[in-house]
Amino acid sequence: MGVGRMSAMTLRMPRHFISDHPLPWLLPLIAILVVFALYPFFYNIWLSAHEFVPRRRALEFIGFGNWLKLFADPRMWNALWVTLFYTGICLAIEVFLGMVIALLIDSDDPGFGILRGLLTLTLVIPPAITGMMFLLMEDAQFGLIAAILSDIGLIAPQTAILAEPSLALWGVVLADVWQWTPFMVLIFVAGLRALPTDPYESAMIDGANGWQTFRRITLPMMGKVIAIAVLIRGIDLFRMFDYVFVMTSGGPGTATYTLSLYAWQQTFSFVKWGYGATISLFALFIVLLVANLFLSLTKVRW
Amino acid sequence: MLLSPWQRILRIGAAWAVVSAFVFPIVYWLTVAFKPDRDIFSVPPRVFGFQPTLQSFEEVFGISLGFEHGLEVLPGGGNFYMLPRLWDSIVVALFSTALAVVIATLAAYPLSRMRFRGQHHFVFWVLSTRMMPPVAVAIPMFFIYKNFGLLDTYTGVILIHALMNMPLAVLLLKSFFDDIPVEIDEAALIDGASRFKIFRKIVLPMAMGGIAATAVLCFIFSWTEFLFVLTLTQTSLKTVPVVSSTFVTSTGTAWGNMAALGAAAMVPAFVFILLVQKNLVRGLTLGSLKQ
Repeated sequence: MGVGRMSAMTLRMPRHFISDHPLPWLLPLIAILVVFALYPFFYNIWLSAHEFVPRRRALEFIGFGNWLKLFADPRMWNALWVTLFYTGICLAIEVFLGMVIALLIDSDDPGFGILRGLLTLTLVIPPAITGMMFLLMEDAQFGLIAAILSDIGLIAPQTAILAEPSLALWGVVLADVWQWTPFMVLIFVAGLRALPTDPYESAMIDGANGWQTFRRITLPMMGKVIAIAVLIRGIDLFRMFDYVFVMTSGGPGTATYTLSLYAWQQTFSFVKWGYGATISLFALFIVLLVANLFLSLTKVRW
Repeated sequence: MLLSPWQRILRIGAAWAVVSAFVFPIVYWLTVAFKPDRDIFSVPPRVFGFQPTLQSFEEVFGISLGFEHGLEVLPGGGNFYMLPRLWDSIVVALFSTALAVVIATLAAYPLSRMRFRGQHHFVFWVLSTRMMPPVAVAIPMFFIYKNFGLLDTYTGVILIHALMNMPLAVLLLKSFFDDIPVEIDEAALIDGASRFKIFRKIVLPMAMGGIAATAVLCFIFSWTEFLFVLTLTQTSLKTVPVVSSTFVTSTGTAWGNMAALGAAAMVPAFVFILLVQKNLVRGLTLGSLKQ
């Protein structure tokens, strides 16, 4: 495009396009965030003050009724506990395994690039399909994982892992750990590669062993990287829905009900529109509170 | 740390063993797609050693791939005929990605280049939409869409997926723009170029690689999304993850068909993710870690 035509275009453009003000640039983003994030948020608050009355086929105002119900609902507390337990266990396993594997494959030897590439594959599988994969593999009769676990004596033969109240959540944890440990590995490897080499040279001269070097040098310098990975993964774990929806639907009993699944089912399966909205709001407040606390404690900035 | 040759070999062996354990379920799932029912339901379960068949793929794609009579289009309309659902997935992912990337590119420029009051709060607002549990958006959105007639429409799903990808796209693109030296902008400003001209003629071309990486990640997240599509669609469209969770029939689960559809959903995503290896960690951490 010639310079002449370009300046002609600039002249014809509205004044604010040439200006230094950020607003015109941000306007489309603000519009979509207001319509699709802020408006639903306030709509949700409005919804949580109402409940659908099937007899009158209408929403009726009930004030804080849903919130009082929420705090007195043992199933909600159970779902919150399951969600927190699941989040904590998965985070612990994924961070630990992620760090071990990252240290293992952080190497310039030939072949390690391919290994890192292969590890990215699990990240792009739709979680719902991962759930179906593990549903088949954990099947009591035809399941590969079930067969392996019973061969090594961890579970009794023909155990339906996902139908056993004490095992079901662990069956879901397994799918999560499989799919998301590579997330940690890749982030940690990138962090390890960016570390300066000087401290390691002095540690070697001082005769530090492998564990000391890791504990005193690697871990402190990786603090920020670990914090970011834990924050992002933690947010996603807390709102987990896909795996339990396809693998267990919250069962057996209430053993795998997460807050997200409970909220969704209250609204869409049991026509408790207002109550489902209230539970989802409760989950939202918890995430925002914990994430903010975490951000200010770890001083992670965007 | 220096490793002896034996330690090196041990490390290579251990690394391959660990990675194989992660890749194995994918390989197993792909074998299921090629297995006849009798091999899927073998007791004890077997991974290899089966009579491969293309029947599952033929039912899902509605074409016959038999080598005896060549490629042949079947009437379609079978219970597991899923070509239209793949098409839904592609349309939703493409348009929501385009929308997200265009809006986010415009927004990321001032966030990277200008300083204004409340900027910090604004970035935090964008970030906090990434923290919202999708269910807390999906529930009110169902009723809002119902009122506006957007339920069960492409427009509705495309818009919500664009919103879902917005924080990622904005923060990631901001980090790519931050990589371009601001001195270039300043020099052009002194020469009398407008902000928009600098954006179009200088920053945009230089950030093309980053924009492409952002688009690929948005595409993948839309392609794999489950909850919004489950909630906001009914009959006129369904994406692959949602429809594959419905492959349960009166005679049991159609694992072969599901695995075939799953394979069809995974392969494009695998190709895409290999394209963005260089920027993957930056994308996964919303632009806060660079490789």
